[in-house]
Amino acid sequence: MRKKIHSFTASLGLMFFVVAPAYSQSAQLIEAAKKEGKVAVYGSLESDTGDAVFRLFKKKTGIEVDYWRASATKVMDRALSEYRAGKPLFDVILTNDNPMQIMFKEGIFAKYDSPSAKDFPKDAIDPNLGPRYRNVIIGVVYNKSIINPAEAPKSLEDLVKPQYRGKLVMPDPTQHTTTTQWVASLEKLMGKEKAGKYIRDLAAQKPVLVESLLPAAERVATGETPIAITYVKYGYIFGQKGAPLDYVRLGKMMGDGHYLTLDKKAPHPNAGKALIDFFLGPESMSTMAKMGEFVNRKGIYPPLPDADKIQFVEMYDLDSKQFAEKKKEYQQIFLR
Amino acid sequence: MSANERILAVEHHVPAAESRTRIGAFFSQPISWVFLVVGGIIGFLSLYPTFFLFYGSLMDAPLGVPGHFTLQNYVRAYTDPEAYPLLLNSFIFGLGASGLSVVFALTLAWITIRTNAPFRRLFELTAIIPNILPPILVSISWVMLLNPSNGLINGGLVKLFGLAKGPFNIYSIPGLIFVEALILTPLAFLIIAAAMKSMDPSLEESAKTLGSSEFSVMTRITFPLMRPAILAAATLNFVRAVESFDTPAIIALPARIEVFTTKIWREALGSFPTNHNLAAAYGVGILMIALLFVYLYRRFTSQVESFSTVTGKGFRPHQIDLGAGRYLASAVAFLLLLLLVMLPILVLLLVAILPYYHVPTWQTWSHLTLDHFRYIWATPRVHKAFANSLLLALLGATICMLLASVASYITVRTKLAGRSIIEGLIFIPWAFPGTALALGLLWAYIDFPIPVYATIWIILIAYVTRFLPYGMRAVSSTIIQIHKELEEASVACGAGFLATFRRVLIPMMRPGVMAGWIILMTIFMREFSATLFLYSPGSEPLGPLLYFLYLDGMRGRVAAIGLVISVISVILIAIAQHYSRWESE
Repeated sequence: MRKKIHSFTASLGLMFFVVAPAYSQSAQLIEAAKKEGKVAVYGSLESDTGDAVFRLFKKKTGIEVDYWRASATKVMDRALSEYRAGKPLFDVILTNDNPMQIMFKEGIFAKYDSPSAKDFPKDAIDPNLGPRYRNVIIGVVYNKSIINPAEAPKSLEDLVKPQYRGKLVMPDPTQHTTTTQWVASLEKLMGKEKAGKYIRDLAAQKPVLVESLLPAAERVATGETPIAITYVKYGYIFGQKGAPLDYVRLGKMMGDGHYLTLDKKAPHPNAGKALIDFFLGPESMSTMAKMGEFVNRKGIYPPLPDADKIQFVEMYDLDSKQFAEKKKEYQQIFLR
Repeated sequence: MSANERILAVEHHVPAAESRTRIGAFFSQPISWVFLVVGGIIGFLSLYPTFFLFYGSLMDAPLGVPGHFTLQNYVRAYTDPEAYPLLLNSFIFGLGASGLSVVFALTLAWITIRTNAPFRRLFELTAIIPNILPPILVSISWVMLLNPSNGLINGGLVKLFGLAKGPFNIYSIPGLIFVEALILTPLAFLIIAAAMKSMDPSLEESAKTLGSSEFSVMTRITFPLMRPAILAAATLNFVRAVESFDTPAIIALPARIEVFTTKIWREALGSFPTNHNLAAAYGVGILMIALLFVYLYRRFTSQVESFSTVTGKGFRPHQIDLGAGRYLASAVAFLLLLLLVMLPILVLLLVAILPYYHVPTWQTWSHLTLDHFRYIWATPRVHKAFANSLLLALLGATICMLLASVASYITVRTKLAGRSIIEGLIFIPWAFPGTALALGLLWAYIDFPIPVYATIWIILIAYVTRFLPYGMRAVSSTIIQIHKELEEASVACGAGFLATFRRVLIPMMRPGVMAGWIILMTIFMREFSATLFLYSPGSEPLGPLLYFLYLDGMRGRVAAIGLVISVISVILIAIAQHYSRWESE
């Protein structure tokens, strides 16, 4: 029932946005963009989600999107290498906060204030990068056919109870950058002292360590390990395919913000701007939400039960030195 | 007197006084010109991108950013006491995986090439399939089969014998070695099988005439003669295992076993931002190990003549009649192929027809779907990727084998000064981690006068640059077996170098050339690490497509595409084998 209410609200919201300001991109910009013919995007947004949005954009404007998809680090490596060699082939970059901030500091972005930004909450707008279009939220996902929902953990603190020993999988915080960030940011939820003890207790549970957040979710879906620290959206995505997954309602959950910006030397600057306007617009955001993404445009939620109740807490940004120090520290705690 | 002997004769003839004569003699030989051209191409392909990596390893800033000269990357990489126990783990892992893969390959090659075991041709064709599958899929398949909590084999054994828990644990050093060995076996099989096809029966027949049993002939004549091929396969597989990250990431990480590549990943490639300078410094270390093994290989096979079993006296190896034992031989080959091919393919098939992977129950049958195959059928991007990969695989493997054949001939057969440098050059790009090399290639070609960056041709260049050692090893272990008398006879009859090469050597080298071509073609069909930074959306091959589908959790699609790639590759291999008619030559 709740699911139906959500999708009804989302549809109403979408109708309002589509009908009222219709399409906020100026005809002039679209015309100039059409003359450029295509737009090149480097990003870490999942291909199916990206393809769905880019198809809509092409339908609306006739402009082709060339999308190069890779992990956030590789997106940054390629973009910076091309930029430093003076041959940037991309118009728009689309990835998470930390690499975006590094690329911003390198001066590879052009300032572009999209008219679509006005429909994002003020606290979701970065002065340099613009709107944080989505949050990727890390939580606790479990397999309902192995763990009875009544016996499932109710909080992060529950994970260190004896009954869950050996039942937990998580990415290796000494290898996986986002997990290093997540563990380092636990003090934002618990306070410094409590977080320090919690990290040691968590390691003492001897969780199964895997290379990243996806294999953790996959192990829960296949039933190899019943509980995972992973992206909450995987609970929805694997659930859609029939996996018996649910997520623990933690209230506050940490995660990373994602942004998109224009390249300073974009080969197709108008097409890039047109794409950014469309991407941040209602049609694109609703499409993404339907695919399980926590988008930040006001009033749009993914069709995940209680999605609107999740309080997002952005993780710390760490620099390369802090990452190295934290990885070393967690090596002593998790791999001992 | 052969062309090379003429050069040698000139070299030993009062060098100081007749240096001009020497230079003249050098340039008067067609082989010298071939040496210069091929050496030039290989030198450029190898040194140009790796220059950026060497340079990067000695700088304190990323490529493209002004920095200072430093040895800090080397100090950090090699003075950490933690590195050496991990190197030992990698050494054990590499030795175990490489050794086991050679044992599997040798057994399979002997049964399929030298005996009259039933179904041997089918076994020979299917043994290559695992080389087509991305290694990561093979590792995942074995985790699904042998994980201690719900692995299919463990679960089956628990039910069958009423055990308290599954007897196997993939998350262990033996599990790691076993899976990597299975991944590496096809490469060893192709190299060893090619050499076995070129065996001279006369030595074996002499031994039999003198009263040796089949087993004794096999252990005392056949296998010792196979030494160059066995060493070639073991060398390649050892270095490949030591530098592999996929299998350790999937199997060693949950077992909390650390190897050297885990450290490289943590500190360099997986660090944020990626420390390519440090990765390159680690790459130089792996390069030293690779070059050491090349040196050892050359030492072990330096008595080239003693391995020359293909002479002008007819070289069709005889087939051993195993009598009733042929069924046992087939059973052994079947068991090996069950491990190498059938079980991983069955798991992939299961993954491809399930909406999401889970241990099958009776309810599963009502959820089976062909959606993942429909995705292949309905997605133009996938069609384009197949077309790109086919072009790259066919063209890339052919160019590589052409270069490898000439380079092998020069290094094995001639006495030209500087010939061993070619072999070293070929191995340089191979020793760097794929992602690091890809960045070197990006830097090398982004601003190249011929605009190849962001086209399909830069991927072709990357493939030839990185994978030439595979072709080189495959073909040089065959050349070693060809006796010089055949070339000499050709030269004596008035044929020049090119005619001798084309009409005598190429047909003789055919098993090795074909083996190398197949190895490379199957690798190029799914390669991604060197491709990732270099493709642009229009030139996307299958490797990056599989990579991002995997990254997005689309295991079903990855498995379905993997299966289709396998079918296409097997068809291509069968056609290539048919047209090369290596059996009938």
